[in-house]
Amino acid sequence: MAKPPFTNDIRTLRFLAGEMTQAELGEKIGVTRQTIAAIEQGKYSPTLEAAFRIAQVFGKPLDEVFCWTDGGE
Amino acid sequence: MTFREKMHWASLLAILAGFGWYFAMLLAAGGDASGLHDYFAGLLVLVIGGLIVVMTFAAIVMAIAAPSEASASVDERDAQIHMRGTFYAYYTLVVGIWGIGLAAHFGFGLFIILNAALGLLVLCETIRIGVQIYLYRRGY
Repeated sequence: MAKPPFTNDIRTLRFLAGEMTQAELGEKIGVTRQTIAAIEQGKYSPTLEAAFRIAQVFGKPLDEVFCWTDGGE
Repeated sequence: MTFREKMHWASLLAILAGFGWYFAMLLAAGGDASGLHDYFAGLLVLVIGGLIVVMTFAAIVMAIAAPSEASASVDERDAQIHMRGTFYAYYTLVVGIWGIGLAAHFGFGLFIILNAALGLLVLCETIRIGVQIYLYRRGY
C-alpha cells in the first residue's frame, strides 16, 4: 500500500495534549484506536471530515496536523 | 486486532473448513455424485448450520473478551475496507456467473451447475474476506 503524500504530527500532538492515547483520540472523533494507529503510521488516509475533527481536537489548523510532502502537482 | 478483523479471520477459517470439506466430499464422489442429490443437500445444510453455530460462538467469545470493541460502530476505515473487499468479490462474481451461464449452455446438468454456483459464492466470499483481512494487515 503506497504511503500517502503527506505526513502528520498526531503522535506529537497527542503527547503534548497530556499524553492522550490513540483510543481517547479515536473516541473523540468517532473512529477505532486501530484507525488512529493506521493514520499515524501513514497506512491510511483519513477522510477530510476525520482530518478536520482531529485538528479540532488539538485546537490546531489542519496544516499544522497534516503536512503535504509530495513535491509534484 | 479489531473485533471486526477477528471476526473476518473466524469467518474465513470457518468457510474454508466447512465448504472445503463439502467440496472435498463432492470431488471424492466424482461422477457418482449425480445420484446423491439428497445426501449432498443434507451435507450442505449441515455445513451451513455448522457455520452459523461456529460464527455465533466466535462472536460471543470475542465480544466477552473485548466488549467495548464489539459494541463499537463501523468507522470510516472499516467501511472503506468493506467496500474494497466487496469490489473485488463482485467482479469475480460477474465473471463466474458468465462462466456458469456458458456451462449451462453446453449441457452440464443441474447438479453440477448448482454446485458450481455454490462454489462461486464461496470463492467470492473468500475473496471478499481475504481482501479485507489483507487491507487490515497491510494498512488502508
